[in-house]
Amino acid sequence: MILEALEREGVEYIFGYPGGANLPIYQHLHEHPKLKHILVRHEQGAAHMADGYARACGKPGVVFATSGPGALNLVTGLCTAYMDSVPMIAITGQVVSTQVGRDAFQESDVIGATSSVTKHSYLVTKIDQLPRVIHEAFHIATTGRPGPVLIDICKDVQQADAERVNTEYLEIPGYKLNGHVNLDGARQAAQALAGAERPVILAGHGVLLSHAERELMQLAEAAAAPVGTTLLGIGAFPVKHPLSLHMTGFMGTGWCLKAVQNADVLMMVGMRVDDRVTAKLSEFAPNVKTFIHVDIDESEMGKNVRPHIELVADARLALEAMVPQVTKVDAGRAKWLGQIDKWREEHPLRYKQSNGQLQPQDVLIDMYKRARSEAIVVADVGQNQIWAALWWNYDRPGLFINSGGSGTMGFALPAALGAKFGRPDLPVWCVAGEGGFVMTAQELSVAVEHQLDVKIVLLNNRSLGMVRQFQDDFYGGVRSQVDLTHMPDFVKLCEAYGLPALRVEKFEDIAPSFDAAERTKGPFLIDFRIDPEANVYPIVPLGKGLNEFREAPEYA
Amino acid sequence: MLEIKRTSAVVSPHPAAARPTSPHGGEVNRVRVLSLLVVDGQNTLTKVSGVIRRRGFHVRGISVGPSRQPGHSRITLQIDHGHAEADQVRKQLERLVEVVEVEDLTGDDVHNRELVVATVAASELDALLKRGAKVLSTGSDGTTVEFSGDADQVADFVNELARHGIVDVVRSGPVVMRKSE
Ligand SMILES: Cc1ncc(C[n+]2csc(CCOP(=O)(O)OP(=O)(O)O)c2C)c(N)n1
Ligand SMILES: [Mg+2]
Repeated sequence: MILEALEREGVEYIFGYPGGANLPIYQHLHEHPKLKHILVRHEQGAAHMADGYARACGKPGVVFATSGPGALNLVTGLCTAYMDSVPMIAITGQVVSTQVGRDAFQESDVIGATSSVTKHSYLVTKIDQLPRVIHEAFHIATTGRPGPVLIDICKDVQQADAERVNTEYLEIPGYKLNGHVNLDGARQAAQALAGAERPVILAGHGVLLSHAERELMQLAEAAAAPVGTTLLGIGAFPVKHPLSLHMTGFMGTGWCLKAVQNADVLMMVGMRVDDRVTAKLSEFAPNVKTFIHVDIDESEMGKNVRPHIELVADARLALEAMVPQVTKVDAGRAKWLGQIDKWREEHPLRYKQSNGQLQPQDVLIDMYKRARSEAIVVADVGQNQIWAALWWNYDRPGLFINSGGSGTMGFALPAALGAKFGRPDLPVWCVAGEGGFVMTAQELSVAVEHQLDVKIVLLNNRSLGMVRQFQDDFYGGVRSQVDLTHMPDFVKLCEAYGLPALRVEKFEDIAPSFDAAERTKGPFLIDFRIDPEANVYPIVPLGKGLNEFREAPEYA
Repeated sequence: MLEIKRTSAVVSPHPAAARPTSPHGGEVNRVRVLSLLVVDGQNTLTKVSGVIRRRGFHVRGISVGPSRQPGHSRITLQIDHGHAEADQVRKQLERLVEVVEVEDLTGDDVHNRELVVATVAASELDALLKRGAKVLSTGSDGTTVEFSGDADQVADFVNELARHGIVDVVRSGPVVMRKSE
């Protein structure tokens, strides 16, 4: 019953783990050869794999887990998907309906535990609810602002048979979709942007989710307005475009932050405007006279920054409506763009190459030279994430995947495997720190089992680098519990798992190691022993305004 | 497929006015009165209260009862929106799939009724009856009365009770309805 419904929804992959409370589902799995089940090694891995799959190919990721510990192991993965608006369906087994509430073996209140990290959730205790629930769940997960939906199904319900109901017709009275664009608002927004002396557009994940990249480009070029992206918006606007400001936020580029802080009109599209983007809120974009906010989720309006013009709509439709409304572009625009070019020259992305140590940027630059824009990069969390965001020219959408809102260490490896399942046609690179990598390293078995062609780039600095940098820079230089000297020999670890690996300590060995990786079919890991003191710059000190960004000490 | 499409593009000319202002930490009225139409279900109340807790709102009054529509209930909420913008309460509740509609009645011309049931010594009855209380029952430990009114009237009534020695008292949350024109 459940599996048939999944087939009808067009599901291809399920990432899951069996147990007592979902045995009835697994019993019939072999009868559905169209559903490919990937047995993970930990349920968190399943959630991240489904997440990476969904981000890479756009279809909802599907996860199975058993009750109690199985379902609770999903929580971090659900939260990661929820924070980044990723469509996902999690189907968890629950104890038999008559046992619910009796503290039965492996019973836990999964709905209670996951309510705040799911877009919606269902507890199914009766079989006749099931067909409608599954169809509704897919609809809710994939429409509007996407997100994970959890279906907790009692074991007796999994065993029961139900009439196939007509699921063509959906009635969800409480589910509100904001689609249409108020044309009046679009006109005002377009004119405010074009008529501004110093406009800036910031683009978030919503632009990618609604496939609005083309419309964004048209608007930016028509209004001659520079565009920065959030960490999750990377790819929404080509980094090499003359109007690109690259990344914004507290680890954004200097020229982007200068532009934001000096802008008089700021349009924010498909983004939540969270604290990583604004830094100190009261000092965010202090010269803006008109904030414009476009988002499909009405609750984002004024949550952090109150817009003067708000458009609650799909980003693509909103931008499309704005483009023809751009008429007169302000005469001072050349001056503004010239100023930004000057900031770009004054505050470029740069790093020192001279201390004899392997620099993470060297690794990424070589990687980019090979991949150009024909590969997906899945980054973990920490310094490795920001380096991967800044030192790679993403000029197409959907090529950079990372956990932005939740910042979940351990995301990259399983998400990269999921991305490869979703986009077997594209090379997939996984960039991770050694700290995050070991949090979900057990999924290497999945890579080996399915001979997934995923290349893993460990930026191994023998520490929890990002935390170490914060301690050095903002906590009086007291290094506390960030040392990771004691870690496995990653080459041997890979050998144990059954995949080839190399260790690289010198600049000269970067290129040969990538050559070896590219020659090898299937998974490959390179353990890059990078400079343990390498840091992420620019960075805005915690609690400070964006204008106070710091550059690398050697350039400050 | 049924989709409720809602269009909105709000252009607020005086954005600053919409901000909750409490520059000196002084008492500003941060209480919103909301009327929710929700789908009945095992999780509905949990989800509503979950949003309230997670977003840092605070419940000042709540009442729940069946609505005119079968399978739906009406929840009346008085909510302190804390440090969030006032309208966030409505927006966050509307995101819930269980919530069909949220009406913000703050500041509107409404009927706002609360109920109080109290047991007092029989000798103390007169003053209460004069205020409009109704006797429900009389027993050995006193007389039980009910009184309904708006929040102020009920508060006054409870103050009056306190002067008379209450044996027991319970108070309902508010039910609020917009006055018809
Ligand atoms: C699950 C989890 N725990 C803790 C953190 C806090 N945290 C953020 S970055 C970081 C350091 C990551 O170290 P590593 O994976 O080696 O990456 P690096 O910063 O060194 O590149 C930590 C501990 C987190 N984001 N996620
Ligand atoms: Mg590290």
